[in-house]
Amino acid sequence: MEGVLSGQKRPEMIPFDLTAPCLYFPVRHHSPACALHLERTMEAYQPDCVLVEGPENANHLLPLLTAPEGRPPLAFYYALRDEKGLLGEKETFYKCYYPFLDCSPELAALRWAAQAEVEARFIDLPYGRILLASAKGRGLRRPGERRSYQDEGYFSDSEFLERLCEKTGLRSFDEFWEKFFEVNSLTMETPDFVAQMHTYCVLARENTPPQELEDDGCLAREAHMAQAIAAACETHKRVLVVTGGFHTWGLLHPAAVTPSAKTFPDGAEQVYPMVYSMEATDALNGYASGMPAPGFYHRVWTLLHGDAPEDAYGQAVLDLLASVGRKLRHKGEILSVADETCALDMARGLAWLRGKCQPGLYELRDGVLTAFVKGESTLATALPMETLRRLTTGDLVGKLPDSALIPPLAADFQNQCARLGLRLKSSQRQESILNIFSSPKHREISRFFYRTVFLDCPFAKLVKGPDLAKQKNRSLIRETWSWHWDGSVMAALVDQSISGGTIEEACTFYLERWMAQASLSGDGAELLVQGFLMGLDDLSGKLHCRLRELAASDGDFFSLSNACKHLNTLLEMGRLYRQEDSYDYAGLLDQCFGKVLSLLPSMAAIKDDQLDSCLSIVSLLYELTARPTFANRREVLLSALESLLSDPDLHPGLHGGALGLLYGADPNWRGEIEIACSGYLRGTRERMLQSAAFLRGLFSTARDLLLVSEQFLPSLDHLLSCLEEPDFLALLPELRLAFRYFTPMEASRIASRAAALHGTTAERLRRRPVAPGQYAYAEALDAWAAERL
Amino acid sequence: MEQANQIRPQAEVRYQEELEALAAVDGGNRKPLGWKLSPMAVRDFILGRKKPLEYQGRELTIKKKYLGNDALVERCIITLTGSRGLMLVGEPGTAKTLLSELLSAAISGVSTNTIQGTAGTTEDMIKYSWNYALLLAQGPCRQALVPSPLYVGMEQGILARFEEITRTPAEIQDSLISVMSDKVLNVPELGSEGLLFARPGFNVIGTANTRDKGVNEMSSALKRRFNFETVRPVGDVKLEKEIILREAAAMAQNAGVDMEPDLDAAELLAATFHELREGVSSMGHRIEKPNAVMSTAEAVSVYYQTMMGSYYYGGGKIEPRALVANLTGALGQEPGEDLEKIRGYFSTVVRDKAEEVGGPWKAYYQARSALK
Repeated sequence: MEGVLSGQKRPEMIPFDLTAPCLYFPVRHHSPACALHLERTMEAYQPDCVLVEGPENANHLLPLLTAPEGRPPLAFYYALRDEKGLLGEKETFYKCYYPFLDCSPELAALRWAAQAEVEARFIDLPYGRILLASAKGRGLRRPGERRSYQDEGYFSDSEFLERLCEKTGLRSFDEFWEKFFEVNSLTMETPDFVAQMHTYCVLARENTPPQELEDDGCLAREAHMAQAIAAACETHKRVLVVTGGFHTWGLLHPAAVTPSAKTFPDGAEQVYPMVYSMEATDALNGYASGMPAPGFYHRVWTLLHGDAPEDAYGQAVLDLLASVGRKLRHKGEILSVADETCALDMARGLAWLRGKCQPGLYELRDGVLTAFVKGESTLATALPMETLRRLTTGDLVGKLPDSALIPPLAADFQNQCARLGLRLKSSQRQESILNIFSSPKHREISRFFYRTVFLDCPFAKLVKGPDLAKQKNRSLIRETWSWHWDGSVMAALVDQSISGGTIEEACTFYLERWMAQASLSGDGAELLVQGFLMGLDDLSGKLHCRLRELAASDGDFFSLSNACKHLNTLLEMGRLYRQEDSYDYAGLLDQCFGKVLSLLPSMAAIKDDQLDSCLSIVSLLYELTARPTFANRREVLLSALESLLSDPDLHPGLHGGALGLLYGADPNWRGEIEIACSGYLRGTRERMLQSAAFLRGLFSTARDLLLVSEQFLPSLDHLLSCLEEPDFLALLPELRLAFRYFTPMEASRIASRAAALHGTTAERLRRRPVAPGQYAYAEALDAWAAERL
Repeated sequence: MEQANQIRPQAEVRYQEELEALAAVDGGNRKPLGWKLSPMAVRDFILGRKKPLEYQGRELTIKKKYLGNDALVERCIITLTGSRGLMLVGEPGTAKTLLSELLSAAISGVSTNTIQGTAGTTEDMIKYSWNYALLLAQGPCRQALVPSPLYVGMEQGILARFEEITRTPAEIQDSLISVMSDKVLNVPELGSEGLLFARPGFNVIGTANTRDKGVNEMSSALKRRFNFETVRPVGDVKLEKEIILREAAAMAQNAGVDMEPDLDAAELLAATFHELREGVSSMGHRIEKPNAVMSTAEAVSVYYQTMMGSYYYGGGKIEPRALVANLTGALGQEPGEDLEKIRGYFSTVVRDKAEEVGGPWKAYYQARSALK
């Protein structure tokens, strides 16, 4: 293969004639060597028309890529809504990215054309038609969250390439590519480089089944591009065609493909320019195509245009080694200059041994692995390699020119970030700890983060803090958020851009829409909590009205209970969050309260898994009636509980819970509780086994019964003492569960009192029993000692 | 010693012809001072050469001797061209010693200049000791000094190997520090003639186990004098099978045993060892990993043992039952617990493979009662 690549046996299949009216230049995406040779070719060929592989529906946006005030990484974001189901899939939303780096040959071609004021355009099928030309699950219709337009599957994943790597003794296609097409090509003449590219690409194409090409829409795309090239050749004298090397053969020999008769309606297809990040471009992250380690190759590209281009790779390796060393020392690692020298010697030595004129990415990695990792290479010693990975990926984030028409929503996002001090210049993950109750600015940042979460934008994630929607960790006073910026955030914002001009508008839009779609009051109240966390005020009163409607029509006890819980949260937390807005939480809560009360008597025969939520709601209602606002409902609640008791199918847990609350209102209910308790424990076996559930319910609402009342513990103890041992053992697991409502200290107090009833102490009871054998041995020993004495 | 009288001839003897052939064609390549071969030729010797060499009027193929990570071998070679030592670390049975031996044979032409590290290794064994009869008779002089392999390496400009360095107590290991830094060894008893400066070509290759019991930590100071290479177990079943067959064949040849290789047995063993080591089968079963080190070297040993049994007691054919019985020999430290895990492997993975793949797997499964 090395012989073939060096041009000794290359087939003269694709000419590279600088005098021809049409010149095909094969590229690999994000390849600095391709971009460099392409620049040289353009200077020599001086084309009057530059045609680049790319969906042509972005042609009107091309000037944005070359505008001087813009800065890569940038990307075109193609989106399509298949509302009519033309693609015949459940999925109706499709999207893909077309990223550009400084070292992308496509961008180099467009930049040259812009500078030379030469016509330049994309020639591929529009995104929608590519999808129509692809079979289900193939090409750009492959499942995956982040599809890249530049799929290089043919280029880098085939059995042929595997064998090639094996034969050349290289670890991967990327290493093979770097050796033969990047590092060593810097000293090659451009025609030789292009011939090598063509040879490689034709071999890769020969090893790809034609059916695969058809299913991936490759043939249809090539046929379309060939037509565009033919049309350009009629009107121009020197046409330069810049496409992925794999397609060149297909462009010269286009297949007869009948275009799909289907067309998407106007507006179904959208394309936007967007800022992108190195991290998202890195092929190692699994969702992009092109070269891995964009940070490293970006550095090489910069050096190739510097003072010493002949040593660009060697210099990039040295720069990166020094950066890794500096970062490691900064993190407290002991790393000497000798280690760095050793790593550089290793990289240079390996390059020499491997026949590369300069060390590249793989020699850099080998150098760091050997000289910086001390001891066995494990997770514990992975810091040098991880640091190198981050640096070679890079954290550069692009910038669109001011003239770029980015959706107002995305612009608002950027403005808000700037206002709140959230720096978007790096794609590194960052963490913010927010004192939401003491700092107005932190509260504002928290609301902003909640808004991005609500818009399903992969920007921020709550790591720790109160979770009001799930009613968890409400006692925490700080929120910890992890956030990072990359291209996917912008893509999500672009997707949402139809919903509003600002983040606030978009959130309000969705909040109102989902509230309108909600059918249960619990869901509606949860949306209110989300609105509360996002700091959105119901100026129009729509949400409030809708929730009233939902509460009025809702007949689901648990949904109404959830609504009560959420509304109570909002009522309690409003002052703490300094957000006493226009919602009438008390009025809404009162309405839901009334509905729950009316349904409560019918909830006697609940299922076991509903017990906890039922107990929590009756407890909450009881607590609410202790407040002046709801005090008038206390009597109604108690009578509802009493009527619940009269139901013969009453769940024992709910029975205990209701009795506990009635006892709380009137201690005279203790007698009733003892009767009920005795009834369960002395009942038939099945009822007896339910006594633990009864106690569980009772203790959940009236813990003080056991702690304060002098009489209840002895009577409970007596009842338990009367049980046969097998029955007691059967009951024990559930009993343990019932006592979980007590704190360890309370449980210990209860145990001591119970032990005292039996003339012993808790400590003595806790002692391990002596084994019969051990006891017998001790007795024998005792007897023996007594005899001797 | 004649090769025929050795159980296992050293690498420079086994591959003498290849080394000579490589040296003969190595003229144009750059060679570090003191090296017998250039780094290119050393790599070819260890990783094989695509084109056969012309040697004494015939073609000689340089075979691949180390089946593993090629890039690792290249890094090892480049490390040895520099001033730092090379430390090969990893689980037992990952061919660290083989690689160290091949590197020494190719670079210095000798692989026997070796210190064997044990818990009882002393500083004398690492640096030098004395022939006390001569010492008493002649006083401290070079003739009375007994050089260690390290001393010999420095004196002759060849590689010194330090096997199992982490079995040596940490303070003894540290006696290497000054030698590795300054490349000079001081023998105070010899007075002004007691300074031994290392000649070009000298370096140290250490090997260290990471999973065995009874190993000591290395000091940071010593670690800084070495470049580390982690040798990982073979990740590919096909490659593991190839290693089993090749190593067992070499051992059989040395033992004068003439027996056809059993490809099925090698494949069964390679798959068993690989799957038990990884904790997952090729069919996706999750397997409990044994505590014993399921190394390729161990697989070779099981194959060879079975082969010997079949050669002397069987009909010259490897029986699945014997193979299964010898598997228990691989379970070193906690045979009881591990045996249960292997039984579990047979009753799930081997059973399902017997059903789906059949052939040798069926016979392998039927022989499971031999697991005792």
